[in-house]
Amino acid sequence: MLRAQNLTFGYPHASEPAFADWTAEFTAGTTTALTGPSGRGKSTLLYLLGLMLRPTSGEIFVDGRPASRSDDSTRAHLRAKRFGFVFQDAALDPTRTVIDNVTETALYRGVSRSAAAHRGRALLDRFGVEVPSNRKPGQVSGGQAQRIALCRALLSAPAILLADEPTGNLDPVTTAVVVDALRDHAATGATVIVVTHSPDVAAACDRRIEL
Amino acid sequence: MTVAGFRLQVIALTREAWATSIAQPVASGVTVLVVIGMILTVMLTSGRTIGAEQKVLASIDTAGTRTLQVRAEADAGLTADVLTRIAHIHGIEWAAAFSAPVDATNTVIPDGARVPARLAYGSHLERLGVPRGSPLPGAVAYASPAALDLLGLPDVAGSITTTTGSSYDVVGQILPPEFLSGFEPAVFVPQPHATGSEAVAALVVITEDPALVGPVSDAVLSVLAVDDPTKVTIQTSEELAQLRLLVQSQLASFSRGLVLVTLATTGVLVAVILFGLVMMRRRDFGRRRALGATRGLIVALLLTQTAVLTLTGVGVGMVASTIALIASGDPLPGPSFGAAISMLTLATTIGAALLPAVFASTREPIRELRVA
Repeated sequence: MLRAQNLTFGYPHASEPAFADWTAEFTAGTTTALTGPSGRGKSTLLYLLGLMLRPTSGEIFVDGRPASRSDDSTRAHLRAKRFGFVFQDAALDPTRTVIDNVTETALYRGVSRSAAAHRGRALLDRFGVEVPSNRKPGQVSGGQAQRIALCRALLSAPAILLADEPTGNLDPVTTAVVVDALRDHAATGATVIVVTHSPDVAAACDRRIEL
Repeated sequence: MTVAGFRLQVIALTREAWATSIAQPVASGVTVLVVIGMILTVMLTSGRTIGAEQKVLASIDTAGTRTLQVRAEADAGLTADVLTRIAHIHGIEWAAAFSAPVDATNTVIPDGARVPARLAYGSHLERLGVPRGSPLPGAVAYASPAALDLLGLPDVAGSITTTTGSSYDVVGQILPPEFLSGFEPAVFVPQPHATGSEAVAALVVITEDPALVGPVSDAVLSVLAVDDPTKVTIQTSEELAQLRLLVQSQLASFSRGLVLVTLATTGVLVAVILFGLVMMRRRDFGRRRALGATRGLIVALLLTQTAVLTLTGVGVGMVASTIALIASGDPLPGPSFGAAISMLTLATTIGAALLPAVFASTREPIRELRVA
């Protein structure tokens, strides 16, 4: 489903690469935790796997096809249609309503907003986001915001779900909701990769990679 | 992408642009205000000038800037078939020939006031006010209000008799155009079935453009085919046409300069506002890129947002400036000027938005989204 082969990446002006000659395969239907101390390049690796960065050398294969060296438009389309993302602090648009945030990717995937809104409301119900959908992110709690971000990531039922510290500042109840959602999504046949510092979250994953 | 898919995407993009504009009321409001200010400035300065210019030009035009009149004495030999010959000359909008005037009186008041009656030749005499399908062609007459008054026919019912013994029923009132004011009080007897050999005393030609009066005048003179050219005189409005061109070019030059300065100022202001907006919302564009928005879509989104705000500003500005011009009693510049300014404003703001939009589209997700 997703494979990184001999991946090397270094930031411009950095004396050493963030990681070098890194190879891993992420199979469908599993959850993988990327763990390790801060500064080891976990988030950078996640953004590389999500085709937001291009590796210095090596390749990332999506569905068996090389993807990391494709042009920007192709990688953007892959991100929209094959990937789902949960960011560290939810990264919601504070100026838009909850339902607008959940359905944001419909525009990028070229699907009808009304259909997306229908599914989005169902996801909000499923994850217990009990706020009026016309409310804005600034008016909900951090836990609710992360659940909304999870709904946005799951809207397209992505084949690959990448999560960057999705439970960073959450209470235990919300953390459990998020972890269960990631595991449930993997159970549908998706590949789920989570960057986490939490031993509990890492333990809940099928596999753990220490960087 | 199919046509239906493309349409769906355009609708979705426009909806998103509108929703984004609403979600950013300060930046959107300032952009709309800039556009309204620009429209008001242009409409109340250049628009007012253009309106005045059009009024001045219309005044000049009513004086007959496109008219040339050939006058021929009775024995000059000018005949009605000159109309056939000049039909091949380019730049002529309308032409008609008229016989020498013959005095006519109300048939029932033989000693009444005399008015000049003329036989009228030409295929488009409706410009004189004569109906296209005139009843009994050649046997009926049409008179101006001044002529009807003199003839004592206020109800446009009766007949006239000329000093040559011909009688015509007066069947209609006409309002002679400005360029035939010299024929007043006017009575015309349309002659749609003329043979061409009838003698005429006047040939009136209207050119398509004031600038064509000179060349058309030369061309008409060359095909008059008169027996005695010394008995023919021609009156043209070339001096008026030159005055018209002078007025038009001077006012147009002033207006153009003002519009360009205003447009440039608007473009700079919109670019600055959008750059500020993009800088404030770098994280927003980074997130959009991470979630799968292409660079092209980000650019299209910002340009559509700019277009939506501009059209809102143009609509409000146009209504406000029209009300202001009407309230101050100034002439309106006309819909074509308004449409041109609207299009120019749209092109300017979209052009100004291009650089900020490209800048927004290059935001790197990892740089904008990572939390330290």
